[in-house]
Amino acid sequence: MSRSTVTFGMVIALSIPLFAQAGPKDDFEKAYSQAERTHQEAGTFQWTTTSDRLKAAQEAAGAGDYDAAARLARDALELAQQSVAQQQDQKEAWRITAIGD
Amino acid sequence: MLKAKVILVALGAALAVPAAMAGSTPEEDRKEAVEYFKQMFPDVPYEEYVNGQYALDEDRRSQWESLQDFPPYEFAVAEGKEMFETPFANGKTYASCFENDGIGVRQNYPYFDEKNNEVITLELAINRCREANGEQPLKYKKGNIASISAYMASTSQGKKFNIKVQDSAEAQAAYQAGKEFYYSRRGQLNFSCASCHVQNPGNWIRADLLSPALGQPSNFPVHRSKWGELGTLHRRFAGCNRNVRAEPLPAQSTEYRNLEFFLTYMSNGLPVVGPSTRP
Ligand code: HEC
Repeated sequence: MSRSTVTFGMVIALSIPLFAQAGPKDDFEKAYSQAERTHQEAGTFQWTTTSDRLKAAQEAAGAGDYDAAARLARDALELAQQSVAQQQDQKEAWRITAIGD
Repeated sequence: MLKAKVILVALGAALAVPAAMAGSTPEEDRKEAVEYFKQMFPDVPYEEYVNGQYALDEDRRSQWESLQDFPPYEFAVAEGKEMFETPFANGKTYASCFENDGIGVRQNYPYFDEKNNEVITLELAINRCREANGEQPLKYKKGNIASISAYMASTSQGKKFNIKVQDSAEAQAAYQAGKEFYYSRRGQLNFSCASCHVQNPGNWIRADLLSPALGQPSNFPVHRSKWGELGTLHRRFAGCNRNVRAEPLPAQSTEYRNLEFFLTYMSNGLPVVGPSTRP
């Protein structure tokens, strides 16, 4: 066996667990950064439930449970999107109930 | 948690939309608000609004009054007075930072500072005074700042709020921003301050009787049995935000200061009664 074949084999062997983990971890990182960005976009309309999910996602990722982390990050993203929609809607809608124009 | 949500959603469905009469100046807003609450509570005398929920429920009111002989904030007010009168390291005192040496001025806060174009609340003024005299600022929600603020409020008892919104575009914008904040729905539960304190005062949320917007700042800082101590108005803002699952803003943030500007303007003509007690 040539030296380069051995090296190649080792790389493959080492990569398998890495590949196996790349999916959920990538998912988590993508969803998390999108959720975090959207949460920031909500400005003064952020929801505590979004913050809670983001924190829980970080904790799950810290413990190596990327499936749970990705799921929580996607939850956070959905909530953050709703908070942004609320912020947009309230730019005009607040007037409906206001006393005085 | 879930129970609270169900109750809130039920409340939301029962909202009465206040008559949106034409009004644009702060004074027109205020007069309309006074008229609105007069129609909602024809039997409540105007001056009573400073008592919040106790203006709306006689049983609670008399129970509360019977507890006023030994108010739980007395010690904090005495401490506040002592801190207020104790010179800073440079020999000056808080009095040097305030009109009339800081005695009987609470009713003029918050005010809009036209030089720096920002709302100055009493607590902010207290901390700016400290910093101007080389002292560290205090934390804003409770503790020493609430005690000092409570002492200053106690020297203003009975004096009527007299908040001015100047004609400048900046002062008007600060008032409008506070008004928009008060009426904007926030949080996962989708409630505005007005959902509870304009549309539903007199209704109950679990064990809490909702107070009307008018007079809300009059009794601050307040000793809440829930807190077991005095807290500032911005601490209450944060709690009310959190209750609808909205992320609270920092105490003394521009947003909360503008909100206080609007809310206190609505109470113009009502007296300072702080500090007081609430559940
Ligand atoms: C879900 C209903 C709800 C919403 C929304 C809400 N509050 Fe409250 N608030 C309460 C309850 C309950 C209390 C305690 C009972 C009372 O005094 O009204 C309270 C108390 C207060 C008090 C103290 C009143 C007093 O007499 O000491 C202030 C000030 C206040 N709220 C301001 C606000 C502001 C400003 C907002 C918007 C940022 C807001 N609240 C949103 C429920 C609400």
